[in-house]
Amino acid sequence: MRIFMIIFTKEILSFLRSTMLVVVVLYSFTVDIYIAGQGIQIKPRNVAVGYVDYTGGGISQKILSRFHKPEFLLPMRFKSQKELSSAIFNKEILVGIVFDAEFEKLYRQGKNTQLNVLIDSTAASQSLTTLVYLQNIILDFTDLKMPISIKSHKLFNENADNHYFMAVTELLSLITMLVIILTAIVFVKEKEEGTWDIMLLMPINPKMMILAKSLSQVAIVMVGVILSLGFVVFGSFDTPMNGSFWSFMFLTFLYSFSSAGIGLFVAAVSKDVMQVAQLSILIMMPLIFLSGAWTPVYAMHPILQKLSLISPLRYYIEGSESIIFRGTEFIDLLPYFTEITLLGVLLYWYGFNKIGKLF
Amino acid sequence: MRVNILKAYAIKEFIELFRTRLIVIVYLMPLMTLILFGFGIRMDVTNARTLIIDNDHSKYSMELGSKFQHSKYFDGKVSNIDEQEALRLIKQAKLDILIIIPSSFEKNLLSGAKSEIGVFVDTAFATRGSTMESYVQGAILSTANELARNMQRQTKGMITINSRSLFNQAMRDEDAIVPGLIGLVLFVAPAILAALLIVKEKEKGTIFNFYASPLSKSEFLFAKLFPIFSLHSLNIFILFIVAIYLFDVEFRGSFFLYWFSSELYILISLSIGMLISIVTKKQIVAVVLTVIVTILPGFLYSGILMPISSMVGESYIEAHMFPVMYYNHILYDTFLIGQGFSSSKIVLYLMILFAYLIFLFTVGTLLLKKELK
Repeated sequence: MRIFMIIFTKEILSFLRSTMLVVVVLYSFTVDIYIAGQGIQIKPRNVAVGYVDYTGGGISQKILSRFHKPEFLLPMRFKSQKELSSAIFNKEILVGIVFDAEFEKLYRQGKNTQLNVLIDSTAASQSLTTLVYLQNIILDFTDLKMPISIKSHKLFNENADNHYFMAVTELLSLITMLVIILTAIVFVKEKEEGTWDIMLLMPINPKMMILAKSLSQVAIVMVGVILSLGFVVFGSFDTPMNGSFWSFMFLTFLYSFSSAGIGLFVAAVSKDVMQVAQLSILIMMPLIFLSGAWTPVYAMHPILQKLSLISPLRYYIEGSESIIFRGTEFIDLLPYFTEITLLGVLLYWYGFNKIGKLF
Repeated sequence: MRVNILKAYAIKEFIELFRTRLIVIVYLMPLMTLILFGFGIRMDVTNARTLIIDNDHSKYSMELGSKFQHSKYFDGKVSNIDEQEALRLIKQAKLDILIIIPSSFEKNLLSGAKSEIGVFVDTAFATRGSTMESYVQGAILSTANELARNMQRQTKGMITINSRSLFNQAMRDEDAIVPGLIGLVLFVAPAILAALLIVKEKEKGTIFNFYASPLSKSEFLFAKLFPIFSLHSLNIFILFIVAIYLFDVEFRGSFFLYWFSSELYILISLSIGMLISIVTKKQIVAVVLTVIVTILPGFLYSGILMPISSMVGESYIEAHMFPVMYYNHILYDTFLIGQGFSSSKIVLYLMILFAYLIFLFTVGTLLLKKELK
């Protein structure tokens, strides 16, 4: 145990000595998460609408007055369809509406009319959502004689507030990146300098050494997580915590531990820091972006769905979303805990065998 | 610039790259990332897992229910389980949408009384949640619209929307995502390779060779960057081929513009890595710093997730600080729009990229010290 503590403290000390590293880690856990949470919204917001109006402007103006903030900017008027198209080509306008000359007349006569809508669909999801919004605005406007009302409930996140979702996702990605890189480099630097062989020659259990070294990096990241939860996630964004805080922290710890396992794996197969950098990016990018944080797993390509079964981040993200937003009971969370632990143990087992032995 | 010395130095760098077998990763990483992400990222909501609890079992309620079963947006199932049970399914993340049709739905409808349809949406994933919500509303409203027309209750005219999507007619996710991914990959990969070039020598002590040699600072940087630059230039073509043939993305612009702006962009990415390599003292710091300044901004500000024009506050400013935004505008133009040099905005963005490169290179040269402090 004493040996464990000594190695652990040594690693923490050498981390703290590199001021720049401390600054970078602190920056990413605070400012970086704040920025991501503050500004990124995927649903339509400030969508620029332009229109050409060939009618006298009674009904068209009524429809246009329904486009309001925060989803839409004030609609801009264009003189001709050509001007409107060129504005869309320059990406100044996302949605263009053309009111034909016949439009109002037909509508007043009770005949069916149509609206021509031009949409820049380079960002397909926004365009589609905007189209649905538009449809709803128009259906709402035509005031159906149907006595149906929709009572809709948004579960777990009443205002559909994106800020804390983005902040949490960013935090989870950061944990992954930092744990993997820090752990891998701690080992590879010793390998590169040749001190690792000397360590292995010493009469210490190599498993203990590996555990101490990787846990020190996990500890560093955990401190960062606590800071970031305190100052940014709960501090500035008032993220509601529907589940238990401690089960989230416990899950985070288990996850960091199995990410450290990935770091160990990277360290085991690479010879110098250069290779670590390349390899960890090679592993991290798919891990982060295909984990279900950006696209739910069931919407992906079937092969990728299978692949994501071996990604600890997938279980971590599902688990922590369930804890933070859905407030799921502990019993339902158990699969996440076991999967993460299992993957972690496997990775460590490989690491122990690969770099824990001299011969 | 002395060509012979440069050649010698560049060859040395080449050999070092080959020896560490990094050469595989130089090509493997961009390719793998593009393929994985191209198949993996889906921004629009399809097959949302929907459960319909039909308490009415009437003709109209079935008609409404079937709307959710025959749509690519919903993966609908009609079931008779308890409401509490269904809510628990949502809590376990096994269900996205729950729709409850009240028991007197058809009777109310025919007699003109109000009936209320309950919709529960999981918005833990806020953006997806609100997209799903508006889809559900749209589907219910348009069904109601049809019913009304069948029952001859509609007195006023109907307005239908005739929408025409520009640039990406089929609304394919691939078209919207793959060009943005090229922008991400070409931003991350060269930077991470360049970031270690100088700091590695600093940590090992071999940087003293440079201090003692008659090589000038700009020659040193040139010799360091040229090998990776030429290796990565090939990626421009590889990624292009993958995008066109594997993902069937249309290409409407000029290839020259694509190639030229991509080379410029790789140089910028290399300069960012080089700058990091110059200011840091340890490899570990360089790696962490590069990852933080490239991967996340490269993704967030690429325009894949949201149009830059819709951003506010800090993100809007930060999006303009990174070169990703400018390059991606050009990239999307060459792939999907095809205005080319005729658009003044593209020429302006090219100039900005150019200025960016010169700025980075100047700062890099100024900060690089050719002696021991």
